[in-house]
Amino acid sequence: MSNYEFRLIVVVATIVVATGIAFVVKAQLIPDSFGKYGHYRADAIDEETQRPIRHGTNTSCLKCHAYEAAIHLKGRHKTISCEFCHGTYADHINNGKKIGALPVKKDTEITTLCLRCHNTEIKARSQAVIKTVAMPEHLESQKVKVTHTCNQCHHVHAPLKYINRAKQITGLMEAES
Amino acid sequence: MKIEQAPPKLDRRTFIKNVLTGSITGSLLLIYPMGGGDALDMLQPATIPDIPVQIPGIRGETYEIHERKFAFIVDITQCIGCGSCCVADKREYKVPDGYYRTWVERYIKDFNDQVYVDCPNGGLDGYQTPRTDIEVQVRDTFFVPKLCNMCKETPCTQVCPVGATFTSPDGFVLMDSDRCVGCGYCIQACPYSSRFLNPITHTAEKCTWCYHRVRKGLLPACVEVCPTGARKFGSLRDETSEVYKILKGPGVLTVLKESMGTWPALYYLGARLEVI
Repeated sequence: MSNYEFRLIVVVATIVVATGIAFVVKAQLIPDSFGKYGHYRADAIDEETQRPIRHGTNTSCLKCHAYEAAIHLKGRHKTISCEFCHGTYADHINNGKKIGALPVKKDTEITTLCLRCHNTEIKARSQAVIKTVAMPEHLESQKVKVTHTCNQCHHVHAPLKYINRAKQITGLMEAES
Repeated sequence: MKIEQAPPKLDRRTFIKNVLTGSITGSLLLIYPMGGGDALDMLQPATIPDIPVQIPGIRGETYEIHERKFAFIVDITQCIGCGSCCVADKREYKVPDGYYRTWVERYIKDFNDQVYVDCPNGGLDGYQTPRTDIEVQVRDTFFVPKLCNMCKETPCTQVCPVGATFTSPDGFVLMDSDRCVGCGYCIQACPYSSRFLNPITHTAEKCTWCYHRVRKGLLPACVEVCPTGARKFGSLRDETSEVYKILKGPGVLTVLKESMGTWPALYYLGARLEVI
């Protein structure tokens, strides 16, 4: 074998071995499901699907809270999510067992929470969508103390519950048949 | 003085050999630890709470991933800027403070067509006070909820160098945080600023339209908590869904930055000209 042929064989062998190693390394580095649907790991879709659900729905809350359900579902606030004011289902229930108590808003926290939606000062709110009030003008016109919190007159779950009842008693509104 | 030590042997062959060995070993070491990570945690079966189905035809049926198509509609005329959606989103994903997967902007325009936009804390605290810094007469004020537009022609997935973000066959633009190297190209590329780099995981993060909920027949968290129905989500393969009816109907729907040719699957109802 001439020196030239030996060199040639070495070069060819090196290229073959290097390509082989490259293919093995590439196969090792590319995840299994990569390229199933496109230039990405298809398993990532399944992993995203496995993310834990933290919010339930009002149905999941009211299933146990029957007393609140009776009021909430009849009132104007029936479209409001329980979890917005009280916190997420996942912080309260795990595998059907109670794991923690959710906070209940108190006093001025309630007024702040109400005005988050019902403040007339924020001009962007259509009256067709939501009834808004100005504070403290609303308290003054209703002839109550300006220190009153909203829930002293309005039931937070059904805001017109007591108002309508009072109107019925005083004859300002017809009683429900 | 005579130099005692001979200089290292540095002919061309040795030099090339050393450089090649060094760079190949170095690069192999750099890329080898990629991937893996806490993938096992993610594969634990998630507990599906006993919640009634909200999007019919998904739970308990085979999910033909190529056949599905969804749309999101935001009705600006219904939005009252309460920020329920932002709160729900933060809670569903435990989004770090100062970062937002979805947010609500307040638009104010005056009679000179000047537009003022603000978004204190992404709308998380709601809008409790009016803006006091505008001295001219205000013509119109409204809220614009923003989230991922789920573009058909996605600028963000095109620039990803490692295939860590992609459009799934059912049209969701998702992230693979195991592959993401945190380079931030996608954040630069997104015309709607809906991506951010998570300061804890150092990977890019974005709104997924709550893909994990949708695949279990539930509405996205923001849609679920919206008290006025300003956010609507549904399947376009279901002719009884609200979004199907709206998209089929004569109402004027717009998309954000239409001229960019991104073809979003997020539509706006009642969006003024100024909304970008």
